[in-house]
Amino acid sequence: MSLFDKFRPLAEARAGLGDLGVAPGVAPIATPIEDIHSAAEGVIDGRQVILAGTNNYLGLTLDPDVVQAASGALHHYGTGTTGSRMANGSYLAHQALEGEIAAAFGWPSAMVFSTGYQANLATISTLAGKDDYLLLDGDSHASIYDGAKLGNAQTLVFRHNDPENLDRRLARLGEDAGRALIVVEGLYSMLGDQPPLAEFIEVKKRHGAWLLLDEAHSFGVFGERGLGLAEHQGLLADIDFVVGTFSKSLGSIGGFCVSPHAELELLRLAARPYIFTASPSPAVIEGTRMALRKLLAGQQLRERLWSNINRLYGALNELGYRLGSDKPGPVVAIILPDRETALAHWKGLLEAGIYANLMVPPATPKGFNLLRISLSAAHTPAHIDHIIESFGRLRRAA
Amino acid sequence: MTTTAQRVNDAIREAAEASLPQSQKIDFDAVLTSDVGLDSVQIMDLVMEIEDRLDLSVPVEVLAEVQTLGQLSQHLQQLIEGKR
Repeated sequence: MSLFDKFRPLAEARAGLGDLGVAPGVAPIATPIEDIHSAAEGVIDGRQVILAGTNNYLGLTLDPDVVQAASGALHHYGTGTTGSRMANGSYLAHQALEGEIAAAFGWPSAMVFSTGYQANLATISTLAGKDDYLLLDGDSHASIYDGAKLGNAQTLVFRHNDPENLDRRLARLGEDAGRALIVVEGLYSMLGDQPPLAEFIEVKKRHGAWLLLDEAHSFGVFGERGLGLAEHQGLLADIDFVVGTFSKSLGSIGGFCVSPHAELELLRLAARPYIFTASPSPAVIEGTRMALRKLLAGQQLRERLWSNINRLYGALNELGYRLGSDKPGPVVAIILPDRETALAHWKGLLEAGIYANLMVPPATPKGFNLLRISLSAAHTPAHIDHIIESFGRLRRAA
Repeated sequence: MTTTAQRVNDAIREAAEASLPQSQKIDFDAVLTSDVGLDSVQIMDLVMEIEDRLDLSVPVEVLAEVQTLGQLSQHLQQLIEGKR
């Protein structure tokens, strides 16, 4: 009898991935990245690889201005704030970043959190209280489910990307739908698919409910100014809360919530994941501020990213691969028939000098075995050529 | 007239047959994870089928307590009775 007995199924699943002899010394889970040469290239297992499994959508992690801003703050303010935003952890820089995020959306309030995970944890657990309801998309990220668990609202799950299913659940709530917070994502990170946002908004408005849109993977990627899917579709006016992360397009770590409701500020007094943790380090905040400026003015970065997206989606469709999303986006999920084929693809790509993500059940929706490519504005046409050629070889060998 | 228990159990049986085509026999006492081999996503899919058939919403908090279809049936009956 041991506290660790319950982890045995996980340990067995993990061992199973190693037993297949995939790239000896290099595991497809928590793969060690030995060095970083650029936003799109690094070293794994002693081999120079194209990084095609990161979330560095705009390639800003090594942007000289961003690095300089972070470095300057590191040297000026030191390595950390050592305290909560409620105590000694609110520097002018934290407040400035919040003001800049709010201004970008044209809304009165924004809050910054120490991670994107905590942004969802804090907003979802606090906005929906004891007598309220949370309506979550079935394919929601773990941070959304965990936010529901941390809070006291009654949580209902509707079918993934199914406004009609949401409609039925809200209808059952009757007048209580006015105390329901719907949570959807701008881009789902496993399959790379997007929500039918306009339809969800129509349902939300009809029932008088509230809508939180998690733009973690869509911020920086969609919209003229990179504000996300809602901006791209002209629907920002109908959203109540946008949650986002700094650890993808903005290239650092942290998260935010921004809202047209000025009362969002009240969450500072009530959200436990905001209060009971240290605030982001000044270097992270100043790097993020510079990256945000680049993101908002990043039309050329987005053009490069979308050129890469459209090329790879087109080529993989031509090769006959089944993809997780009909609509192209920065996450390209290739659905493979079984775990062995997915592992063989992961290994084949690594041998060809391409690092991608392997995703297998139970982490994936519908039990899919996925190989996931994340694209970046930092990928060159030659990188994309090489990725396409490598998939061509794997397809012919299969 | 069908009782609430009958209605709930019929809905569970129909949903299980629809969403678990491989399963030979619907066993209300089998543990859904270890005995039937379902993961959390598959259990969620099954529950959504049942919700549609009974026209009710099952809070996630209830699901966390449920290990078998029999236990799910009990919870659903309580939800329906509670509505009256």
